[in-house]
Amino acid sequence: MTRPTRAQRPAKTPETSGRRRDWLGWLYIAPLVLVLVPFFLAPLLAVVAASVFESDGFGGMTPALDLSNYWQVLTSDLTFNLYWSTAKFTFLTWLFSLIIGFFVAYFLVFHVRNPLLGLGLFLLCTVPFWTSNIIRMISWIPLLGKQGLINEALLKIGLIHEPLEFLLFSSFAVVVAYVHQLTIFMIVPIFNAMGRIDKRVVEAAIDAGASRFDIMRLIIVPLSKSGIALGSIFVVSIVMGDFFVVKVMSGGGSASVVGAFYEDVGVLQYPKAAASAVILTAVLMAAVGLILRTVDIRREITR
Amino acid sequence: MSTTDKTPPQRAVAKTKAGLDRRTLLKGAAAVAGAAAGSDAIRGFPTVWAQEIKDIELRHVGVSYSVVQAIGDQAAKDLGFKVTMQNLDTSAAINRFITQPNTVDIADVEGWQAKLAIKRGVLQGIERKRIKEFDNFLPIFTKGELNGHKIPRQGISPYEALYIAKKDATELHDGVADWLTNIPQVYNADSIGYRPDLVGHEVTEWKELIDPKFKGKAAILDVPAIGIMDAALCLESAGLIKYGNKGNMTKAEIDFTINKLIELKKSGHFRATWTTFDQSVNLMAAGEVVIQSMWSPAVAAVRVKQIPCVYAPVNIKNGKEGYRGWCNGMGLMKHLTGKKLEAAYEYLNWYLSGWQGAFVSRYGYYSPVPSTAKKFMSAAEWEYWYEGKPSPEVVKDPYGVPMEPVGTKRDGGSFIDRVTNISCWNTLMDEAAYMNQRWNDFKVA
Amino acid sequence: MPRKTRSRTSRAVAPSKGGRPWTFYVLATLFALYVAALYGPMLCIYILSFQDVRGGLVFPVKGFSLHWFVELVTQARTGDVKGAFDRSIRLAAVVTVLTVVVSFLAGLAFRRRFPGDRIVFTLMIGSLVAPGLVLGIGVGLLFNAAGLETNWYTSALGAQLSWTLPFGVLVMFAVMSRFEKVWEEAARDLGATRWQTIRLVMIPVLAPGLVAVGLFGFTLSYDEFARTLQTAGALNTLPLEIWSMTLNITSPSLYALGTVTTIVSFVIIVASLGTIAWMQKRRARRQSGS
Repeated sequence: MTRPTRAQRPAKTPETSGRRRDWLGWLYIAPLVLVLVPFFLAPLLAVVAASVFESDGFGGMTPALDLSNYWQVLTSDLTFNLYWSTAKFTFLTWLFSLIIGFFVAYFLVFHVRNPLLGLGLFLLCTVPFWTSNIIRMISWIPLLGKQGLINEALLKIGLIHEPLEFLLFSSFAVVVAYVHQLTIFMIVPIFNAMGRIDKRVVEAAIDAGASRFDIMRLIIVPLSKSGIALGSIFVVSIVMGDFFVVKVMSGGGSASVVGAFYEDVGVLQYPKAAASAVILTAVLMAAVGLILRTVDIRREITR
Repeated sequence: MSTTDKTPPQRAVAKTKAGLDRRTLLKGAAAVAGAAAGSDAIRGFPTVWAQEIKDIELRHVGVSYSVVQAIGDQAAKDLGFKVTMQNLDTSAAINRFITQPNTVDIADVEGWQAKLAIKRGVLQGIERKRIKEFDNFLPIFTKGELNGHKIPRQGISPYEALYIAKKDATELHDGVADWLTNIPQVYNADSIGYRPDLVGHEVTEWKELIDPKFKGKAAILDVPAIGIMDAALCLESAGLIKYGNKGNMTKAEIDFTINKLIELKKSGHFRATWTTFDQSVNLMAAGEVVIQSMWSPAVAAVRVKQIPCVYAPVNIKNGKEGYRGWCNGMGLMKHLTGKKLEAAYEYLNWYLSGWQGAFVSRYGYYSPVPSTAKKFMSAAEWEYWYEGKPSPEVVKDPYGVPMEPVGTKRDGGSFIDRVTNISCWNTLMDEAAYMNQRWNDFKVA
Repeated sequence: MPRKTRSRTSRAVAPSKGGRPWTFYVLATLFALYVAALYGPMLCIYILSFQDVRGGLVFPVKGFSLHWFVELVTQARTGDVKGAFDRSIRLAAVVTVLTVVVSFLAGLAFRRRFPGDRIVFTLMIGSLVAPGLVLGIGVGLLFNAAGLETNWYTSALGAQLSWTLPFGVLVMFAVMSRFEKVWEEAARDLGATRWQTIRLVMIPVLAPGLVAVGLFGFTLSYDEFARTLQTAGALNTLPLEIWSMTLNITSPSLYALGTVTTIVSFVIIVASLGTIAWMQKRRARRQSGS
């Protein structure tokens, strides 16, 4: 309405219209804030409040400033073990999804010449995700189980004589399921970052006699850094915040941070679960902060 | 709304008539219950009453083995109002009842959940007088006994969680009272399932589950509150410990139990722990395990695949063993008033009138009012499911799919044999927070 | 890892020049393996969905029929899969649209500094990492306190957006970094209004990226469990329905749903790719030569 007419004055440089830009910035950001305040900030404040309330052990809470929940969570060996176990899964998932995701994206960007074919192959990778994750989780059993497709096939061709038990209900299975589920979260941002690389730069480097390895090290990886950082943020925050895959794929043999307070919530131990949730949020904010420190994602668009 | 607009005169008539009907009905509370109980009675009502109630919707929320779509559909058909069945897992359900009581009308609760919900003041007491079949309930639920046999009260027995002194009481009442926390509707006794072909002998004791000979081929249930009770039954059966109350352990007892579980896990005893019904079926059917704590319909589901599987009769002997019992009942949320509350009472009474009882029986569960369920079952079905006799015809599941051949006998015998051998009930311990924490120790070990 | 093979580097990474470098074959194999692994469990789903009434969720296959596809539509037996699926699809569609629009606007805002931008950014990261299960209970409590009823199209929508938007905005950062400010300035110099610049220059250039954001939004919403669990109100979304069904007998109709979803997805993809190819060809012909 008023925006276009004002903007029509082309002479106006950004510097001279600071206040209007502030206002415009807020207009653009308002929808995001309108979602985050009621659906993240408000419940988060409720959770923080609950974490210092006193509990009667059965879902009842009385307002107080009781830090014993934090103390309990922070001093127990269990917390340490849970974080250690979850961090292990997170690291392995991150590593494998990064390697696979990076090369898949690289293949799609630099080796598939027909952009339409590239898009088709990319969509091919997304189709399995339109079947609900829980259904896909169930279907790992007929694939990896003792009498599953893989074991049956290996037995039939005589590679093994006993079914491989480690395929299912193990840490291996957990990592496989996570990588399977999350590599796409690496592919998309890396794909985007690589798409931005000017192919002429690569050609010039080749003409200048750069090796394949040098091109990778000096051009592709640095220019894909923002994509890698984004993918890492996604993978790390999803794995750390998940309990479902660990619960099902480890056959209950492992626990996770969120799984532990899922159990607490199930018997209405709200203050303790809230304290754990606040701690986990802080830990993850720190982790994401570290990633963002290495790659300033926002600078990429403000350049 | 649109239909009433089309025919204004009729509507006016309908209104007065309905009002009258309702008033007459309200006069004797018992009369409403009585009229509502039999579905035929409801169908016999003048259509005006149907007009009044067809806008009512009851939201019945609970776990999927208790809150069944097909039952809700039948209730809606018989009663004339809308019934929405929503399934959640146990944990999500109790959280919903406590934190968003207004989004639920009928809360499907176990005894321990009823206790919590009453304490939090989200349920209203159910008037005993208005439950038509109340006197036909098995006394297990109403008096805590059966044929003179006192039903053990380890854990939270349905009887213990049944009564409150006043409509809005927040504490349970010990002993019979006029107000109820919930109406029991389905229950069973859980035990061990095993593969007779791979185990090689009959199993009647819980200790078999932790016997080293099944190393790497055993599984246990991964829901802390009941998983620990299964574990306790095993340890007690093996003579390693004698619990004061398996359903309400002391910290020391919890520590002992979990430490033992950790020891077993470290020695590679458990192939897996299971959380979902299907996991337990698949573990057994795919040969991953040969013995595990299991639910009755899961055993049946394995057998449907033509794989032998037995539901172990772990009858009480020498003060050990016994089944772990559970019972789901329906509680009325506090916000229900007026017409909706009337409808809710009708719904409760419909549940006890037999159709639902027969339906859940064909799953392998039991109705707390077997006398009405019997009316909706064939003689052959009754003999098989309740009396433990060889089935004179092919056994079919609630949807008519064949399950067992002619002559099959139900594991565990008659339902009297089963229920009188329940030694503990699903529960929430006073030390639940500590127990959860230790259970997670077991998981990460 | 590619090794130093100087003799061949001249044909190396660069596209559109000469024959395929050896890395092509290595990476093509990797890609094929990835896709194979991706479809591994799906294959089990497809095969097992065509069993007859005796079928279960694991091998061996029992018979062959379309029984579980029929069951999927008639639904009485295994919970409300059809209704839950409808709701999930509709919810995911709304979430997708809102995610794309709101993320795009937020991306525009974040291109410049504005007062409080760091706070909003931190808030957004917090929303990304905070455990959804506990937040969901918080949202439910707040709705209850405000006298509102939770619903899949109100509270669950909001709760899901608080999770998909951080993803969307972050991906939008990557997408928008591909956009050169020069183009925008050129458009302005030619007298385009701000809105025209966005509509006629930015959106067409960024379209593939916007599609990626939309795909993110859709997938995240369709699979969301933790945040939806306590905010969906009286009717379940698909993940909630399936999860609660797993406490009881689950049937291969779940697999049938997977098979149907896949078939529909492929039809849509092939159709849209075909349309794009056809349009490109037509445009090329019209521009004759290019």
